[in-house]
Amino acid sequence: MKKLLSILLLICMLTSLPIFTSSCSASAADVHVFYYTFSDPYISNVRSALGKQLKDAGISFQDHDGNGNQTTQTEQIQTAITNGAKAIIVNIVNTGSDDAANGIITLAKNADIPVIFFNREVSDAAVKSYERCAFVGTDAKEAGILQGQIIGQYVKDNFKSLDINGDGVISYILFKGEEGNNEAIYRTQYSVSEADKILKSNTLPPLRFYDPSNNNKYLVDRNGQWSASAANEYMTTALTSYTEKKGNMIELVICNNDGMAEGAISALNNAGYNLGRADSRQIPVFGVDATEAAVDLIEKGKMTGTVKQDADGMADAVSRIIQNSLTDGKKLTDGLDAYSIDSNVTKIRIPYSAYLGKNQK
Amino acid sequence: MIKAIERYREMSPEQRKGYRKEFFINNSLYMFLIAAVIVIGFLRPNFLSAASIVNIISLSAANLPIALGIAGAIILSGTDLSAGRIVGVVACVSASLLQASGYAGKVFPGLATLPIPAVLLIALGLGALVGLINGFCTARFHLHPFIVTLSTQLIAYGALLMYLRIGNNNGQSISGLDSSYTNFINGSILSIGKTPIPNYVWYAILITAVMWFIWNKTTFGKNMFAVGSNPEAANVSGVNVKRVTMLVFMLAGILYGMTGFIEAARIGSNSAATGLNYELDAIAACVIGGVSFVGGIGKIRGVIVGVVLLRLIFVGLTALSIDANMQYIIKGLIILIACAIDMRKYLVKR
Repeated sequence: MKKLLSILLLICMLTSLPIFTSSCSASAADVHVFYYTFSDPYISNVRSALGKQLKDAGISFQDHDGNGNQTTQTEQIQTAITNGAKAIIVNIVNTGSDDAANGIITLAKNADIPVIFFNREVSDAAVKSYERCAFVGTDAKEAGILQGQIIGQYVKDNFKSLDINGDGVISYILFKGEEGNNEAIYRTQYSVSEADKILKSNTLPPLRFYDPSNNNKYLVDRNGQWSASAANEYMTTALTSYTEKKGNMIELVICNNDGMAEGAISALNNAGYNLGRADSRQIPVFGVDATEAAVDLIEKGKMTGTVKQDADGMADAVSRIIQNSLTDGKKLTDGLDAYSIDSNVTKIRIPYSAYLGKNQK
Repeated sequence: MIKAIERYREMSPEQRKGYRKEFFINNSLYMFLIAAVIVIGFLRPNFLSAASIVNIISLSAANLPIALGIAGAIILSGTDLSAGRIVGVVACVSASLLQASGYAGKVFPGLATLPIPAVLLIALGLGALVGLINGFCTARFHLHPFIVTLSTQLIAYGALLMYLRIGNNNGQSISGLDSSYTNFINGSILSIGKTPIPNYVWYAILITAVMWFIWNKTTFGKNMFAVGSNPEAANVSGVNVKRVTMLVFMLAGILYGMTGFIEAARIGSNSAATGLNYELDAIAACVIGGVSFVGGIGKIRGVIVGVVLLRLIFVGLTALSIDANMQYIIKGLIILIACAIDMRKYLVKR
């Protein structure tokens, strides 16, 4: 029996070998790409786009999953460099301090290979510390500012119909993706402050958080996952105490990303709102990312607006820089004139754009 | 109850004092529960409104099946770390099979909307399969379930990430579900006042009833407790320990499958993060409710109390606008204290 079992196990292992070997290339890859986590839908978009571009450029590459853990990622980078990587592309996990970025830059410097950071921002000082280092990303503040602007514009245009209880103030709920992440912090801050700016210039009162006793003025995903389920549970809970009947209904929903917006909309649907029909009231919901699901919700009239982050543009910029870095005598930023580059540091900015539906700008 | 009062009457004053002390300590959890409800209800009258109570019940109902599954593993003095990821896999598979036809981001564009019972069977089957693997490895190779489920949890996550990239999905979250599916889970056939009770509450109640029957009225249930408290003794008295272990894990897998099937439609958006850490809440609920890691001890009633208590903490602390950081600390303290009290009972007995 034991023998039979061990033979079975052996056969299992042998048959599974081709599956594993087929998923990796014959020789070691030149370029290694380190993603902070494979589970992020937006990062998945970048991964597909970048994979295609590198393949088209004839560069052999390998993807790594940091799984949201900086230690894992740093160890993966060490291993890749030891195995002879010619360039590394890093979507860093920790954005809170420079320590992780500096560690990775030192590793690259010692091996004399270029290191390109993308999406999750590293500081100017870190990028400047090594001439073969660059950053491709968005301006973290821009998403929040754009979101705030479309919210402000929408509220200004529809103030009367949005103010359900007629108290002259719009009450809002805000879902934050995670604590200690710059993108989340800026989106949380600017989405409201920019909207207030527009309201103020039109002599309208600023937005007011729905729960006066919450001093944070946001509800955060306690797992730090920017998840639909966190937003859904908060929203469901809030909708039990804040209703039209009591005259304190939440009149505006702001989310740090589209996943959270989806969760909030699902909760609203269960309470009879945002069904995309004439007989159900629409509470405006705003997100960031313009995922396919969010675009679909906007088309169906269940969601109001989102901010698009350009995954293809980001992949394009990263792939060009990598090709430059592997070619002798080329500057990292050659041929990147289409993108805006920070004035005194090698940071390439991919613009965000507002998305309010196919026919609207 | 009456017997307890009679016994209390027969006691000497000293015994009575000791009994009262024991009574307070052993039931402190229930008292804390009642006190918490009163205090929060006093500070936030809305907390005790029909809508809010239905909300607590439905949040608990969504978390109940997974906790009942894990409870079985804990009774065998094991644990199950793969529960959350199994929920995630099943949720994503169910959602992908039940997307509305014509939805732009459909994973399988050619697929017509399948009948719900068929997908439910697939969901339960998938959960049962992973559960069976857990049970088989635990029983056959004498591995601790901690190790086995640690491995299957990783395998499930890897498979989930691959699954999310098939078709034209490209790693996006899976949503745009068919309305028949969302109605089946989220719709309502009964309302209290004007508050609709979502259908999944009834499914959870049904599952709980079935589980109560399995635990208390079947030979399999009795064998499970026997194996949990002393596998050698159970073996000697003719219980097939391996078979019981495998069945317990398979049953748990089926319950995770059910949780995933409900979760997919309840939240409406399913990604690789779906189900993450669900097992930790479920394990916490079990131990709070007196399902002991010692093995062989636990009641369905306890699991329900544990699940409801955790949801009460979430809803209550959110209603009181208490900072998320503080919520972690409070939750941690409650788990620690509940387990300390639980352990104390057995130490006194010995």
